[in-house]
Amino acid sequence: MSTRVELRLPSRMEYLGVPDVVLLEVGAELGCGKRGLEELGTAIIEACTNAMEHGNHLADDLFIEIWFDLDDEGITITVLDQGPGFDHVGWRPSDDLMRQRGRGILIMREFTDFMEFGRHTDGRFLTRLVKKIGPGADPE
Amino acid sequence: MPYPVPGGGGPSPDPPPAHTTARRKRPLKIKERKRDGVAILEMSGKLMGGPDADAFDETLKTLIHEGCRNVIVNMEKVSWVNSTGLGILISGYTTLKKSGGELKLLKVSDRIENIFIVSKLYTVFASFQDEEEAVRSFS
Repeated sequence: MSTRVELRLPSRMEYLGVPDVVLLEVGAELGCGKRGLEELGTAIIEACTNAMEHGNHLADDLFIEIWFDLDDEGITITVLDQGPGFDHVGWRPSDDLMRQRGRGILIMREFTDFMEFGRHTDGRFLTRLVKKIGPGADPE
Repeated sequence: MPYPVPGGGGPSPDPPPAHTTARRKRPLKIKERKRDGVAILEMSGKLMGGPDADAFDETLKTLIHEGCRNVIVNMEKVSWVNSTGLGILISGYTTLKKSGGELKLLKVSDRIENIFIVSKLYTVFASFQDEEEAVRSFS
C-alpha cells in the first residue's frame, strides 16, 4: 500500500531544508537507514535547488511541489516546478573539477537508484527520484 | 513561459497579516578566529549559495588584505551543503590559491563527505578531523 505526503514551498532558498526534515520523519516511519536517508535528502535538496532557481527563477509568486510516495519497496520523490525545463537528454557530466556550478544532476544520479526528468500532465516540469530504502537496502 | 498550476499558482489566497511577516535569517553564519597565523572560519547552518556566497567571499578578501592567506573552514556545524555551496568552497579555494595561500576543511560530516566523494572534490580539498593537525599542515 502506498502513501503520499505532499509539500508546497515558495521558490525561496531558505526553505530548501524543509523537504530534508520531512524526509527524515517519513523515513523513520519506514525504518530507513541513516545513510540512505542522508543520500536521498541531499538529492532532494539538489532537485529543489534546480526547481526554485532554474525552474521558477526564485519568483515570489511561483511555487514548487514535492511529493513523497512511500511504499514497502522505497520512496519516490517527485519535484515539480513551473519552468520550461532544460535539455536533460543532452546533458553530460563535466570533467572540470574546479567548475563552480553544474554538479546537481551528478549528485542526484549518484545518490538515487533511479532518476528521470519529464512533464506532468498539467505541464509542470518534474524531476523524479527513486530510492530503495528499507531495513535491507542500506549498506550501513 | 510559466505553466499553469491547478488552483491558480498565484499568491496564497490568505496572505499573512503584515505584522506577522517573518524576518529572514541568513542560513549560514561565519565566525572567525586565528591560530598560529591560520584563520579558522567556524561555519554553522546550511551552505547553499545566495547571500552566503557574498559573505564568504568578503571574509576571504578581508583576510587576504590583512595578509592571512591560509584558511581552515570548520564544517562541524554545517548541516548540509548543496552543489551551489560546493561552488562557494571552490571559489574560495581558487581565490586563496591565487594569493599564494590555501583553504582546507575541518570536521566534515559523513553526509557532506559523501558529496565530496561522488563529486571527486575530495581530491582537491585537504580535510582533517583534528584542528591542531589541520593548523600544523600549513607549516
